[in-house]
Amino acid sequence: MKKRNAFAIVNSTLFFALAFALTPVHAQQSLKLSDAEVASVALTANQIDIDQAQLATKKSTNADILNFAKTMTNDHKAVIDQAVALATKLNVTPHTNDVTKKLLTDAEKTKQQLEAKKGKEFDKAYIDNEVAYHKAVINAVENVLIPETENEELKALLQNIVPALKTHLSHAEMLQKMLAQ
Amino acid sequence: MKRSFRSFTILGVLVLILAGTSGCASTPENHYKSLPQTHTIEIKRMVFSPSEITIRKGDTVVFINHDPLDHDITEVDKKLWSSSPLHPGKSWAKEIMESANYYCSLHVVMKGKIIVQ
Repeated sequence: MKKRNAFAIVNSTLFFALAFALTPVHAQQSLKLSDAEVASVALTANQIDIDQAQLATKKSTNADILNFAKTMTNDHKAVIDQAVALATKLNVTPHTNDVTKKLLTDAEKTKQQLEAKKGKEFDKAYIDNEVAYHKAVINAVENVLIPETENEELKALLQNIVPALKTHLSHAEMLQKMLAQ
Repeated sequence: MKRSFRSFTILGVLVLILAGTSGCASTPENHYKSLPQTHTIEIKRMVFSPSEITIRKGDTVVFINHDPLDHDITEVDKKLWSSSPLHPGKSWAKEIMESANYYCSLHVVMKGKIIVQ
């Protein structure tokens, strides 16, 4: 059941949580992905979120949205750096797979939806997406990925990133309330 | 005779000096306390710790970023001061002259307070 939940969550949203699922143990037990495939998913998911933030940078004129997007870009790049370092350490070479393709397909749909919006409508859609996204990521990391991770180094990395995810969520929720006023 | 008088004078001066200082609070401990102090605020797990400190005017506060992400420290109300982005593992020191609310402008929900007595 846990395996199914994890896979469903990953496939339904643009998670970067998998950035940390770069161990053979986790890949085999939860996602049935090889190390190379997990690495591909992780890097793709992170890059997708960066791309969305860059879209926001291009389309929004709201200073608070622009600041949030900049933070998302920088933080996700930092996560990618950590994921790459771990993948390198584990001797993993990213390999495109079905999950990667699904993430890219969903990302393209989201991108089209966001690109069709302008002004405040865009800001709201972008932040709503970010709120939902981070809630799902936190749930996946805390309730699925951390409990199932056996590699202590990876578990520590997951635990260390949760506060950042919660801070992103609080930031996004703050903006969501602000935009609703 | 002259030597005795000089010795007496010197002794008298020393007594006066000692008498003058004995009632003063300028002990080595108090002297140390009166010097500007350095306080440390750690940035760890997306929190300023401690989130509130009480210091004396002129003390220095050192912020250390233990997180794997960049942070900064920005005065809230008047934007009087701000650090540049503080990379992981780096620190930034600021002499504080007045009370201040501050936050991380990159992660705006991270907040702290410095109270100057």
